[in-house]
Amino acid sequence: MSVPNDDNLSSHTQLSANVLSDLLDSIIVDVASECHRIARLGLDRNLEEEEEELRLSAQARAKVADPSNSGETTSKYVVDIFGQSHPSVASEVFDCMNCGRSIVAGRFAPHLEKCMGKGRKARLKTTRSSTAAQNRYSRGSPVSSYSPYSTSTSMNRLSNGTAGVSGEEYSNGTLEEP
Amino acid sequence: MEQHSHQHRHNGVVLVPEPCPHLSDFRSRHGGAIPFRALQDCLRVRPPGRAAIRRDPDELPRCLCCGLSSPPAPRLYACVSCAAVSCLAHAPSHAAGDGGHEIAVDVDRAELFCCLCKDQVYDRDFDAAVVLAQTAASTLGGGGGGSNRPPPPENLRKRRRVDYRPWTPDPRERALVVSNTSPLNGETTSLPWGLRGLNNLGNTCFMNSVLQALLHTPPLRNYFLSDKHNRYFCQQQKNNSTAKKNDNKNSRLCLACDMDAIFSAVFLGERTTYSPAKFLYSWWQHAANLASYEQQDAHEFFISMLDGIHEKVEKDKRKPQSQGCGFSGKSQRKLGNGDCCIAHRVFCGILRSDVMCAACGFTSTTYDPCVDISLDLEPNQVASTKKPPTKSPTKSVLSCSAGSDSMYSSQSCGISTLMGCLDRFTRPERLGSDQKFFCQRCQVKQESLKQMSIRKLPLVSCFHIKRFEHSPVRKMSRKVDRYLQFPFSLDMAPYLSSSILRGRFGNRIFSFDGDEPDGSSELSSEFELFAVITHTGKLEAGHYVTYLRLSNQWYKCDDAWITQVNEDIVRAAQGYMIFYVQKMLYYKASEKPVAL
Repeated sequence: MSVPNDDNLSSHTQLSANVLSDLLDSIIVDVASECHRIARLGLDRNLEEEEEELRLSAQARAKVADPSNSGETTSKYVVDIFGQSHPSVASEVFDCMNCGRSIVAGRFAPHLEKCMGKGRKARLKTTRSSTAAQNRYSRGSPVSSYSPYSTSTSMNRLSNGTAGVSGEEYSNGTLEEP
Repeated sequence: MEQHSHQHRHNGVVLVPEPCPHLSDFRSRHGGAIPFRALQDCLRVRPPGRAAIRRDPDELPRCLCCGLSSPPAPRLYACVSCAAVSCLAHAPSHAAGDGGHEIAVDVDRAELFCCLCKDQVYDRDFDAAVVLAQTAASTLGGGGGGSNRPPPPENLRKRRRVDYRPWTPDPRERALVVSNTSPLNGETTSLPWGLRGLNNLGNTCFMNSVLQALLHTPPLRNYFLSDKHNRYFCQQQKNNSTAKKNDNKNSRLCLACDMDAIFSAVFLGERTTYSPAKFLYSWWQHAANLASYEQQDAHEFFISMLDGIHEKVEKDKRKPQSQGCGFSGKSQRKLGNGDCCIAHRVFCGILRSDVMCAACGFTSTTYDPCVDISLDLEPNQVASTKKPPTKSPTKSVLSCSAGSDSMYSSQSCGISTLMGCLDRFTRPERLGSDQKFFCQRCQVKQESLKQMSIRKLPLVSCFHIKRFEHSPVRKMSRKVDRYLQFPFSLDMAPYLSSSILRGRFGNRIFSFDGDEPDGSSELSSEFELFAVITHTGKLEAGHYVTYLRLSNQWYKCDDAWITQVNEDIVRAAQGYMIFYVQKMLYYKASEKPVAL
């Protein structure tokens, strides 16, 4: 470390500079000693693999973002791998297992909700399962792992839309890659 | 300078470097480990764990030749033979005298130094002495070895590993198989089994996406496809059971049976789409509070589903011990682990949490099971144009820096990565002054440092990325669309308790909690990606899609649509739930006398 020109400095300033210099040296030795040990004991992380993954990821993102790359990113679904195509609202018909009526698959969930008398306002049978589930899942998820600052509010959930409601564009195959 | 070939780190098996000739000479002359153990009285440990050598606690070491003391000298060495302290400049002259004074110890870092090689050297017995001193400082009465109280939960008791023995049916078994089964009419196709579109039943892509991932979770798939939960048998048992007085549908409710039905349907070879209606019906009965036709979260569904499979299996088994597979004292949580049910056998790992008093270093440890790991994305990333660092060391001592780990990982590239999130998850956090913990040694509430690590890895690791930002000011949440890089191959070794502990204790040569003595955990920390659930859109309205990796080919499962995609699409996708499976699965000796 270069020492400032002490012709122009008071000894007080020079002392401060020396102290700083010594502290820095000490810290540098700390780090050097730790790294030396890690390297000698074979404890360093295999950064080559990690960097390779990063490189592949960057490459992939560039390719996907490139508008000249047509294909999976921008085209609508034409056929699936079996050569089939599917309507935006699932058209299979089956019997509701609660009431027995014939229901179209794509409208089954809303039907079932009314049919079971479910929904957040509905009266529920108090089974152990439901109360336990309520306690466990209404706020965050203690079953899930600990995270130091988890903010478990009801807003911490990603919801999904679907055909017929808000996700129309997805269900008939339009893709929007971010 | 001897050549040191770079070796890939093996979890739990620390390379002990060959001692230099001066060190081995020293050891043989002074009775092996004796001089290092004698140093133990001089080892002083200050929180958060840094060890120093002082004859008296208040001693200020000075160089015998020039009087330089520790500040300002960055390094002072005490001769292990005669305790003479020298600064770096004068150490060689002390060592060069009559033999026996070559080995010294850095008084501020407790590191051995060979004055003739002019290099830091390593010794197992010395390191053991340091770790013992550090452990004593962090526990009440000086625990033995590197293990902390409480002892790890019993489900960690190790069953011995057995070699895989391939099985083929004998003629009688073969005849049985032929007479009791019918072949699937799968046409010869190069497409893998188990791909089948799932109909969206009305806002149910959250369910479809998770189902697709689970259908191709190898241990889970194997379990159901090998008929380990036969739904006909299970339902028959329920019908025969004594639950007649309570004749609600709940007694026959079994999510595992419904899973079994879906597995059958999907692996049938049928190409038409399948409607998981019965499953939805069953699940809504189980998770009554989530039963509504509205926006749902895939992760919440995943947890709920695993719980559903666990609960039913628990009920049926009627285990003799009251808590089933929970830990003692936590039976009300009913957090399964180990062998209670397939859901937990596949997904359950154990997290270790250490809370260290910032004043005295006393550390309290708890273990908790978890079925997944929820990770925060880093707060506002500052994009940087620096090149990625070259060799970075593993996390070392519990440092007090709150927030900046710019030296590590790819933060310098400005990209969020899964490993970066895991680094943050396992780094020491200084808890705020409003979160003081009661320290058993100080007997008052103190500020503390908390650090998480993974005590036991599950067979399948599910990482849940918390893609939401809550603004307390504006009282609303929004989704974080930031890209997160995730590797296709992931080594979880740096996040294991043994690695974290080792780092905290200065990376000493020592066997830490979780180390396998025979190094057999070497491979079991390596994971392979097999499924990614992505979410596109906004918090209130979006769409889930699952990408599956089968025979190293990627498929996109978008409700009814199964298409093939290039792996670049997956790498560039916005992961929300990311699934990895252990690369190597080991067989363990069965505890049952007859393994079925």
